[in-house]
Amino acid sequence: MDKREIRKSPYDIKQGKILDVKQMTEFEKSFKIALHGGDLLDHDPGQFVMVSIPGIGDAPISISSSPTQRGYFELVVRNVGKLTGALHKMEAGDTVGIRGPLGNGFPIRLLEGNDLMFVAGGLGIVPLRSLINYVNDNRRNFGKVSILLGCKSPTEMLFHEELSHWEERLDVNFSVTVDSAAPDWRGNVGMITSLIPGVTLDSKRTFAIVVGPPVMYKFVINELLAKNIPESQIYMSLERHMKCGVGVCGHCQIGDSYCCKDGPVFCYTKVKNNIEAL
Amino acid sequence: MKAKVAFFDFACCEGCQLQIANIGEALLDVLDKIDVVEFREVMSEKSGGDYDVAVIEGSITTKHAIERIKEIRSIAKVLITIGACASIGGVNGMKNNFELPEIKKYVYGEDEKYFDSVPTMAVDQVVKVDYYVHGCPMYVPEFVTVLKHALMGLPYKAPEKSVCTECKLNENECLFDRGLTCMGPVTRAGCNSWCVNNGNICYGCRGMLDDPAKTGQIEILKKHDIPLEWVTNKFNMYNKAKDVKENENE
Amino acid sequence: MENLVILKKEDLNDFVMQIARTKKVVAPVRKGVKSFAFEEVTSGARIDLDYTSTILPPKKYFLPQKETIIEYDKRKKEWTPTLYSEEIVLFGVHTCDLFGIQCLDIIFSENPKDFNYILRKNRILIIGLECSNYCDENASCALMDNQNPNGGYDLFFTEIDDRFIIHVNTYHGEKLINKTGLCTKADKRDVSELRLLKERKRNVFKNEVDIPYAELKPLFVNAMKSKVWDEIGEKCVSCGNCTNVCPTCYCFDIIDDINLDLNTGTRTRVWDSCQNGSFAEVAGGENFREDRGERQRHRLNRKFNYPVSKFRRYFCTGCGRCTRACVAGIDLKETINALIEEKKGNENG
Repeated sequence: MDKREIRKSPYDIKQGKILDVKQMTEFEKSFKIALHGGDLLDHDPGQFVMVSIPGIGDAPISISSSPTQRGYFELVVRNVGKLTGALHKMEAGDTVGIRGPLGNGFPIRLLEGNDLMFVAGGLGIVPLRSLINYVNDNRRNFGKVSILLGCKSPTEMLFHEELSHWEERLDVNFSVTVDSAAPDWRGNVGMITSLIPGVTLDSKRTFAIVVGPPVMYKFVINELLAKNIPESQIYMSLERHMKCGVGVCGHCQIGDSYCCKDGPVFCYTKVKNNIEAL
Repeated sequence: MKAKVAFFDFACCEGCQLQIANIGEALLDVLDKIDVVEFREVMSEKSGGDYDVAVIEGSITTKHAIERIKEIRSIAKVLITIGACASIGGVNGMKNNFELPEIKKYVYGEDEKYFDSVPTMAVDQVVKVDYYVHGCPMYVPEFVTVLKHALMGLPYKAPEKSVCTECKLNENECLFDRGLTCMGPVTRAGCNSWCVNNGNICYGCRGMLDDPAKTGQIEILKKHDIPLEWVTNKFNMYNKAKDVKENENE
Repeated sequence: MENLVILKKEDLNDFVMQIARTKKVVAPVRKGVKSFAFEEVTSGARIDLDYTSTILPPKKYFLPQKETIIEYDKRKKEWTPTLYSEEIVLFGVHTCDLFGIQCLDIIFSENPKDFNYILRKNRILIIGLECSNYCDENASCALMDNQNPNGGYDLFFTEIDDRFIIHVNTYHGEKLINKTGLCTKADKRDVSELRLLKERKRNVFKNEVDIPYAELKPLFVNAMKSKVWDEIGEKCVSCGNCTNVCPTCYCFDIIDDINLDLNTGTRTRVWDSCQNGSFAEVAGGENFREDRGERQRHRLNRKFNYPVSKFRRYFCTGCGRCTRACVAGIDLKETINALIEEKKGNENG
């Protein structure tokens, strides 16, 4: 066997330096990461990276900061597996491997000039935050913006400071609901679907962007269709088991589509007849 | 600081420890990472109860063994079972095919009352096990993999695939096609189909898959015209201990 | 005619020995009682020209079961994309397997290009071998139209009586022929005998299933909710044999191995199977293809449906390996027939 180095490999990894780690909730931490040598990640909202730790492996993590945030990017990670467990043990100053950005991201050019309704369930806010912050940073390019957020309980809520900022902004219509809460919770209690009927919108020019756990999509989409939002204006980001991140290894396949390459962002029209999608 | 590792044996043939002694050159790399403080098969020193990692060979077959393994567990930060006897009960489990008084009498005769004996159990039927190295004898490459995971503090679980998966990758001719009855389809992989590579059938020494797909297994027997008892008898050779209920021996 | 040469069968041994002096030669040899495998040979003695498809297809040389893609060093925080490869002459490849290699070529040449595959492939010289008859009853090469070659080789051997008629398809193949100095030019008689054989094959290879080639995709597209998948799911034990032996299955996992120094190691690409229970499971525990029937449906849609939209070709070669390798007796032709029957049933009421 002869050995050689491959200069251009889809599996090539860049060094990412952890600048800061913040505990968000009991299970989630937020990592600020900068690429080695000041390189920019140059991602689109909705894309993801593969994070590597040598000897442990890699895992797909969605980018939760907007590309308008320069100098570093943010990953919010729940401790659920081998790689994320090891990542949670890392500190500022440590180095991880970064491959990406990967995936298609949200169709920003298509969204510009239109009204936007963001629907985030649970951890869905993590990739969606990238787009929400991008929109807020380029606010005049978009029409009406509403953000609907749902999670299990107030203690699982992420990005507290930002949420209250969104709540205060006049150019954003923000509402939140939790499945259950202690008596001191003053907000809504109920499923995320309960927030949708109350939103006033111009269905012709509204794009809905939905991200949440797999069980959520069917119910939310039904509510959106009931509001007369056209199928072609409903976008969602799907979660699957990504390994190679470049549309080959097969793990993330949804029918004939690869979640990592053709997605993770899909238009409802593209997947509504795909038996494996929703 | 190197981890202090102690090897202990219970009811077994000590063949798994022999496998470790026979690792060869790679053993030097292993010893570079750990301090062996007790290993009856290769050294006379004792740990005196000072160890981080306990490596256990053998199944639990007496009340005394139950107490001893509990004590080891209370000291060890990490407990690894090696081989079929410790990991799933192994051949000692064949004892469980008989009523205990009957088998004691058969083995010890008149002196039966002097011997303490309980139905055979795997170590995890008594205490928590952190890592398993399966096989009879244990599969050495799996031991090295487990050791590396333990040293890095990472979890390790044998693949949830059947021996058939690895056997096919080794391009062995399927033994069912040769008219033999093989335990490959129900047995947990991770041994690189060691036995079949060397001309033997699989005896199921690594234990049963978590989900062996019962209806499919029956289909295999149908296709090859094999009675179910043949398979259960063969499989029980290593896997009888799993029938012992929790706390049955307490 | 210029690109046809003749090698006497009695010279095959010398032919292989000559090549094996400088290159690794792999060829079909007997494995066990009635099975075959591609293995390294140093002469013609062990080569079995009359072989049934090998247990594993030649993909094992193009996409090794376990392959280093990166070498890392934790202390230096460095990951180095790496390729290990060697020069191989792959001898005696059936036409179904030539097609299988062509399918893999497409997949790994898509952007982003997989240079581990491409650079390794470039060092493998492929010598095809004509089938004048079926391997066994499990093959469905005529259904998939793969009983005759469609390129994909450097040299192609057709055995006729006491000689091989060799089609020289590439310059690499020509160089190899010239180096051995054992071949002579083909004449008119050879050409006409070759034509006769092709004609005879037309009567030997007939579509093995009652459905035309073009109808296969619609059959699968409309069978997403078929009961056939539940029936197969009941039989399947998820051993993954069907995918491991498939010449066009290329799903893989990426795994980090670490050396005992706990600092250096390799990231490897290893064969994986969509039949494994956890194949489509995400870290949070959700499993998107939990049911064995769904997994089998997915496997066959990856042969008869999805690649047709993307690459305008089926990814089934008709080699029959999945049927041969299934210990529970799941049979490809039976499955297709069951889908056809179900479709007829639905159409008739």
